[in-house]
Amino acid sequence: MTDGIDLRHDVLDALLMDRNRENIGRCDTLMLELRDGKPPRVATLLIGGQVRDERIGKWMTHLSRLFHGGKRAADEGVSRIPFAAMRSLGETIRMDVVRDELPSEHVEQWLAKHVICRIPGAQGKKEQGKK
Amino acid sequence: MKKWAEVALGVVTSIGGFLEVGSIATSIQGGAQFGFQLAWAVAIGTVCLAILMEMTGRLAAVSGRSYVDLLREHMGVRFFIIPLVAVMIPSFLVLISEIGGVAIGLQIATGIAFQWWAIPIALVGWFLLWRGSFKMVEQGTAVLGLVSVVFLVGAIKLHPQWNAVGESLLPSAPSHDKVKYWYIAVSILGASISPYLYLFYSAGALEDGWSLTHLGVNRVTAGLGNVFGGGLSLMVLVCAAMVFLPRQIGVDAYEQIALVLATPLGRAGFALFLISLCITCFGATLEIALSGAYLLAQGLGWPWSENMKPANDARFATTYSILILLAAVPIAVGMDPLKLTNISMVLSAASLPVTVTPLLVLMNDRQVMTTHANGWLGNIALVLISLMSLVLFFVAAPLYVLGGG
Amino acid sequence: MSRDVALHHLLGRTVRDPDGRKVGRIEELRAEIELHEQGNDYVVTEFHVGSFGAVESLAGSRFARDLLHRLGRLVPYDHHRIPWHRLDLTDPSHPKTLDTIEQLRAKQKRD
Repeated sequence: MTDGIDLRHDVLDALLMDRNRENIGRCDTLMLELRDGKPPRVATLLIGGQVRDERIGKWMTHLSRLFHGGKRAADEGVSRIPFAAMRSLGETIRMDVVRDELPSEHVEQWLAKHVICRIPGAQGKKEQGKK
Repeated sequence: MKKWAEVALGVVTSIGGFLEVGSIATSIQGGAQFGFQLAWAVAIGTVCLAILMEMTGRLAAVSGRSYVDLLREHMGVRFFIIPLVAVMIPSFLVLISEIGGVAIGLQIATGIAFQWWAIPIALVGWFLLWRGSFKMVEQGTAVLGLVSVVFLVGAIKLHPQWNAVGESLLPSAPSHDKVKYWYIAVSILGASISPYLYLFYSAGALEDGWSLTHLGVNRVTAGLGNVFGGGLSLMVLVCAAMVFLPRQIGVDAYEQIALVLATPLGRAGFALFLISLCITCFGATLEIALSGAYLLAQGLGWPWSENMKPANDARFATTYSILILLAAVPIAVGMDPLKLTNISMVLSAASLPVTVTPLLVLMNDRQVMTTHANGWLGNIALVLISLMSLVLFFVAAPLYVLGGG
Repeated sequence: MSRDVALHHLLGRTVRDPDGRKVGRIEELRAEIELHEQGNDYVVTEFHVGSFGAVESLAGSRFARDLLHRLGRLVPYDHHRIPWHRLDLTDPSHPKTLDTIEQLRAKQKRD
């Protein structure tokens, strides 16, 4: 009846795609803006970094810190996308962003540029699959 | 017309891709020590695998999400870590064992020690994953793997008492060496029902773009294909029973394993055994490396596909590359492939509950499965498999310590 | 004045009534679109609070939730849909309902 969504069932951990239907990760949490006298607003969608580590558990936070060699800015590798940028919600959620602009995609970009593309054949065409 | 071709190809892929180092090694050990008696373990393992694969395939075809996608989405990232680790660790050990299997085959064929083959095998495998498409990887190795039909030929030539084989398809208690018997039974089950198999199958359904029209193909491929493949595994056991048991040969030295086909089929059997071993283990190597990459990529939402060029799915490509190259190291430094195989089979068996029990929930969720949710028969089967997996979880380690090692 | 709170910090939190009695844990948040001049926003309209909280967090699946709710008729299980304005989130770590458990149960019966 109502056109509502369940935040945990429909949004949390859902697969996210950018404008070009490329995978940009999964929703690791939502930031809700609590307002006096008004209902909480679903403000931002967060992907990656410390947010995900925190959800997994304390041990993951410690592990990540070790991996990144000590200090790591709280926001590093976390993508904050305004929830208003959501274009469609279904099996996957499409957001009006571009993959390359997201902080949480830095590892992907770094690997692609410095490791993968240094190896011959990385740009090679494969079968034009359905994916 | 096209659907029939797909079905045929699917069945062929299942048959050619069924055997690998785990099923070969455990079937040979089972046959050598207990004759036909453990045939029931192969049968039950095969049936369970067929059911699990049909379900994860149906899951993917109906929902457009792979099993891993749904695990992450329904359990949340925190609990997803459990199946992630529980599948990654045994699968990685099996991956090492598969490379070991190819290396042993090449050692017997050339006389060059297996340690030297480990890295070259991994590099060739990596190259095929790097440059090949999903269809090429999945079907190429499976079609070549059809050479393993030679085990059927060998078994026939050995003239076993087929009704004795048939009777052994029902579970029976051992007459001697009880602990060893059950230990090998658990290993056979672990070899048949390795989680990477149905996880890979589910991801493969997405790679091939399966939809509701593929439900029939799924049922035949997963059902019939695996039953035929399991039949081949049974033939390995039969050959081992006929060749090793009467001669009381303990399967300790690798060169002796080749006798299993050399005895009935002479030099051709010897060569075909080695070819089968190498091809089937190599195919499994590619499949497991990809499985690991699918597991991580789908769980974390990375772009992924074996059909994409590596530049576009860098983390996915890095994952399978690291897995396959790292897995070569233990073999290269001389770890015993057979011992590793035995450990990995037992761990696979023990890890089953984590990937089997969520299916009970997912296959009944109407939002995911719409009108294709499990019927009562499917659910009974799944409950029985879950119960069995729980038993395996508790008995696997003790049996390994007491009966294997 | 506005504060931000993360969804995963709210999920699973124990909710108490004005008398300090435990109502349940936050299992789900329902949100709907609110239209206004600057654009559309999703706002939280309801908090679903139930006594299966921790287990519910595993039951991301509709089927599992239905199963739990069905079991809930055999096992004591309370499930409340609390409108946003009836939940006090001044301290997000300790959400409080504005109604007592009795009032909530009365509302439950009316639904």
